[in-house]
Amino acid sequence: MASSLNKPELIVNGKRTDGRDFDEIRPLKIVASPLKNADGSAYIEWGNNKILAAVYGPREATPRHLSDPSKAIIKCRYTMAPFSSLSEHNRTGPNRRSIEISKVIKEVFENVVMLTDFPGSQIDIFIEVLQGDGGTRAAGITAASVALASAGIHMRDLPYAVSVGRIGEHLAMDFNMIEDNYSDSDIPMAIAPRNNEILLLQMDGDMSREQMSKAMEMVIKAGEQVSTAQKDALREAYANKAGAKQ
Amino acid sequence: MDAIDTVKTSYVRELLMKGEREDSRQLLEFRPIKIETGIIKNAEGSAMVDLGATRVLAGVKTDLNEPMEDTPNQGNMVVSAELLPLASASYETGPPSPEAIEFARVVDRGIRAGNCVNLESLFVEEGKAWTVYVDLYVLNFNGNLFDAGGLAAMSALLDTGVPKYEDSKVIREERPNKLKVDNIVTPTTFAKVADKIILDPTGNEEKAASARMTIALDKESVRSMQKGLGGGFYKNEVEELIDVAFNKHEELKGIMKKAQK
Amino acid sequence: MRTIVTPGDVIAQSPTRVRNAYVQNGRTYSKVLGIYDDSAQEVIALEGTWDPRIEDSVIGIISEVKPKVYIVDLSFFGRALLIAGKYDKVEFQEGQIINALIKDIEGKSTIILTDARLLEGGTIVSIKPKKIPRVIGKKSTMIRQIADATGSRIIVGMNGLIWIQGGNVALAEEVLLKIEREAHMSGLTETIKAFLDSKK
Repeated sequence: MASSLNKPELIVNGKRTDGRDFDEIRPLKIVASPLKNADGSAYIEWGNNKILAAVYGPREATPRHLSDPSKAIIKCRYTMAPFSSLSEHNRTGPNRRSIEISKVIKEVFENVVMLTDFPGSQIDIFIEVLQGDGGTRAAGITAASVALASAGIHMRDLPYAVSVGRIGEHLAMDFNMIEDNYSDSDIPMAIAPRNNEILLLQMDGDMSREQMSKAMEMVIKAGEQVSTAQKDALREAYANKAGAKQ
Repeated sequence: MDAIDTVKTSYVRELLMKGEREDSRQLLEFRPIKIETGIIKNAEGSAMVDLGATRVLAGVKTDLNEPMEDTPNQGNMVVSAELLPLASASYETGPPSPEAIEFARVVDRGIRAGNCVNLESLFVEEGKAWTVYVDLYVLNFNGNLFDAGGLAAMSALLDTGVPKYEDSKVIREERPNKLKVDNIVTPTTFAKVADKIILDPTGNEEKAASARMTIALDKESVRSMQKGLGGGFYKNEVEELIDVAFNKHEELKGIMKKAQK
Repeated sequence: MRTIVTPGDVIAQSPTRVRNAYVQNGRTYSKVLGIYDDSAQEVIALEGTWDPRIEDSVIGIISEVKPKVYIVDLSFFGRALLIAGKYDKVEFQEGQIINALIKDIEGKSTIILTDARLLEGGTIVSIKPKKIPRVIGKKSTMIRQIADATGSRIIVGMNGLIWIQGGNVALAEEVLLKIEREAHMSGLTETIKAFLDSKK
């Protein structure tokens, strides 16, 4: 979190800097299968975030001796392009932040992918942030789910992710970058919508038990929109199937 | 190269021995080129090029740094490239491979030798000048990164707006002036397969190739050249390639100009 | 009725045995992006790797020759082996293309092949395995149409590799990729017929 010097007013006349209500998420749109070579892919625009997710697999595990004969291994790489932020140029390559994010995202999908259906194989998930504006890991997970589904990977559910946080006494959904930097608490969450199971939860800041409770409720409520956007993307990609209702 | 690649490569070679290409193109014909600029607004400039199925995104960031010691009155350009693992089943994660580094350096060379970016215009004040970072992101691979990347880099630079600098502060959100681009250089890449020379090789054609040549030039001069792979070219072949590259220059320049907003 | 389903969508409010679906807490859910046909009680996966079945005819490439066994590349995440028999008429070499049948599948990822024959010349096109049924067509009508129009010899592997030799290979490849892109669209047979006619 940034220092409180030069802290901008995040709430003006009861609305947020971009005019949103507290429970409102930014507009989002997902396109399934934009890439030709990848086995599955998805492109998401969520607020000013522009993120590409791609999947290769199940494919032969490399190196072979690290494969698991009973199930698939999942590898995940989240990175931000050097030109993705409004501020300075970033060096390419993984840094500690992106390595941690890659790990927690991998754990979301290890949970929902039916690994034993593809023994001995490897499933690679790549999340590339082309332009970032707060909530990139949530948008990345949301797109990666669609990419996995578009690759035909067996999953028990289609997880989505969205963040919630606290600005003063208000709990607000889906922070943009400025809110992210100056908020009192930011909590990305990934949910498996079938049972509303929480597969990713990270939090730092300062929240009471009641606030955490309310925050989780808000995520599940707003999550319906995100889940719908994912399904719409997949259905749109297969529009015009003979006799299929959408 | 896996077993299937070997089959496709021999097939491509067989075809070329008959003077044919797998996508039915002429030997010296480019695949369809599509360029879109300004897609990454956080970047000071950006362009995405589709050359057939090869897709490269170039993003430009300008940062205020200290000028280099030996050139105290001008700024800098740095070109980097990543062959993203999502672009091809054969790309691996990890630090840039020699392939990626050659790609970045060849794209850089043509633009730099062509004096395209006016480095003096990047000078701001004593101890401060802009560094222009061009990052090439390969999103889908099907051969000829050099041309897709060269066109993307040049287009992204043409699209670039320099951030406002006022009262010793950089105001990123405002870009009142375009980057001063004095020249436009166009890349043209050839491959030699089964003694035939083709323009704009696909992924399979590159695998079958014994030699490769990238020529970047402007209207008047050849600005950079790079011979790649293990084989060779003869003097008369090189002369022909230069002629073809000059021939293609206006067309490529036109496509880039049209894509500017 | 056919509906598009995504992983986690409810197929039935009771436990049922449906391909590409799973049961939990007394309900059946889809595990893939697919089309659910409630009259046929099946979820047809729209995408995904090849699901090998015994007796599938496949196209592969010999990738390694070992004593007594060939390792065959089927463009599949598992391993495929062709046992070298004492009485084999032909000995295969690395890089050669074969057409073979699946004799057995061990675990979900080791395939044992049999009845291999050598395919000479030609090239291989890779098509997503889930689109192969569309490439073949009802009673092989689609693939025959393509072979007729191109004059090529075409052998389709259920594993997604297709061997094409002779005739208008470029056109054959073009049509196959077109079917792969439009496999989910209605009226595909007519579209392809019109496309091939336009190329005459």
